[in-house]
Amino acid sequence: MGGYASERSGVVNIGLEGLMLTAACTAAVAAPHFGPGGALAIALLVTVVISVLHWMATQIYRIDHVISGMVLNLIAAGATNFVASLFNASSSGVPHFPVVLYEGLAIVLPFLTWAYVRFTRGGLRLVATGADPDKARLAGIVPERVRLAALVVAGLFTGLAGAMLVAYTDGFTNDMTAGRGYIALAALVVGGWRPLPTLAACLAFGILTALRVQYAGVPVLGVMPPSEFWAALPYLATVIALAGLLGRGRTPAGLGKP
Amino acid sequence: MNARILWLVLGSIGVVLGALAVCHVGPGVAFAALLKGSLGTPNGITKSLENTTPLLLAGIAVFLALRAGLFNIGAEGQFLVGALACTAVALKFPGVVGIVLGTVAAIAAGAAWAWPAGAIKAYRGGHEVITTIMLNSVATLLTGYMVGSGPMRAGGGDTTTASLTDATRLPAVIHSGAFSLNIALPLAVAMTAALGWWLRKTVSGYELRAVGANPTAALYAGVDPRKTAVRAMLASGAVAGFAGAVQVLAYEGRFYAGFSPGYGFDALGVALLAGESALALIPAALLFGVLAKGALNLQFVHVPKGITTVILALLILIVAAVRAKGVKKVA
Repeated sequence: MGGYASERSGVVNIGLEGLMLTAACTAAVAAPHFGPGGALAIALLVTVVISVLHWMATQIYRIDHVISGMVLNLIAAGATNFVASLFNASSSGVPHFPVVLYEGLAIVLPFLTWAYVRFTRGGLRLVATGADPDKARLAGIVPERVRLAALVVAGLFTGLAGAMLVAYTDGFTNDMTAGRGYIALAALVVGGWRPLPTLAACLAFGILTALRVQYAGVPVLGVMPPSEFWAALPYLATVIALAGLLGRGRTPAGLGKP
Repeated sequence: MNARILWLVLGSIGVVLGALAVCHVGPGVAFAALLKGSLGTPNGITKSLENTTPLLLAGIAVFLALRAGLFNIGAEGQFLVGALACTAVALKFPGVVGIVLGTVAAIAAGAAWAWPAGAIKAYRGGHEVITTIMLNSVATLLTGYMVGSGPMRAGGGDTTTASLTDATRLPAVIHSGAFSLNIALPLAVAMTAALGWWLRKTVSGYELRAVGANPTAALYAGVDPRKTAVRAMLASGAVAGFAGAVQVLAYEGRFYAGFSPGYGFDALGVALLAGESALALIPAALLFGVLAKGALNLQFVHVPKGITTVILALLILIVAAVRAKGVKKVA
């Protein structure tokens, strides 16, 4: 949903991976000192700041969106390595909210997002900015501001994702996001940039990832596939999904434009 | 210089100094540690140059794609499959034959790994950033499997293939004391110059750049952007695979799990820093290579090495901002 908010407003957000990583690291480091609630708040705050940096890079400095996203991912990787080493972020025993809470949010948020875009003026502005920022400007919308709000929201949602990762694995490890941010982006594309189909796509990818745990050690068609096969499934599926006909015609037309 | 850029530079310096302060380490100490680790000893210089070679070659690969307007984040995966393919072939054919065949195998493997991303982008509009990143993960898993529980593993406790014979390796051109320079680096430099020449002086190079600059205009000029895009990705993957072969033949002599500490990803940074000039790849790769070696020394002064990643990323950001300054907003 974070990716949705950003890309619908026309900002390509390759940085979702970095945002998640940042949130995860911050939450893990802050939790022992501030408890789960405080940690979540701090993590969200830091993630929003990074997301706003992406906004600044693309809107004010006019750097290419993909470059900015990748650079932010690099900064996140380096910074989280730095912070985690410094503060001895543990890989277990970090206090956190129950995972179920995040899962519930993950199901509810797409519906809320869909409703917001469909029924409110703000939602209309969002889609208009993404479709054609210049014409939107003529209609009195300020694209930069819409995008700022969109990226703040992107930071919030993606921050939740990062915090959830920490809740799920009980701690922080380097590069723990393992490409999930990119898979999220793929889910968005497959879902045609609409909240509810994206939710379905995410569920599909999630099931693929879960298959690994279920089927490790179980032969398929008489052959024992190595554990790496199951681990590779989500990534392969993403490539196949992008090769499919899904999603191509619905790219927000103003994606990537200043 | 533009005020905004100035703020960016000052802000970046501030971030780095702040990070160092948190470690209770002065910038001078950190900088000295970096330099000493990378250039302070003959062994250090050798290693720094060793680092530079794959970065330069992979950098050429990414640069090639970049000039065609494509982001080949998949250089890492192409590098790995190229290295594995080269090792597999060279183990079977010792000597010069092995070197040649291994290199060919690597080029083919790298190109094959890049093809899906190119084709999907050109004919389905699927963003190559995502496809290449996904293929990276598959490559890491595949090659890991091959030397883990798979067929390429040499018996014994380590996840590695058998080693190539000395005759199947690329030789060093300078060897005095602790300092040694393999032929691979001059080779890479020559390739960079050749690339620059090809891009600027040949028709196909021009077509590539045209598609990168403005696909629609290129179309009207008679160039097929989709075919060019696929060809660019294939070439990019081929070079990345070649980089893998060189790494095996010149420096490693075998393939093992964890073969690449992220050369393919750093290559993206190298290419971004280089911008429009192929020759600029050389200093960019040197910078990355030297910093990578120097960063290992940072732990002795209690600075986590992640900080060099941040420094390089900020540098890319600043360079990108300076270049983007020329883009004017319409209305």
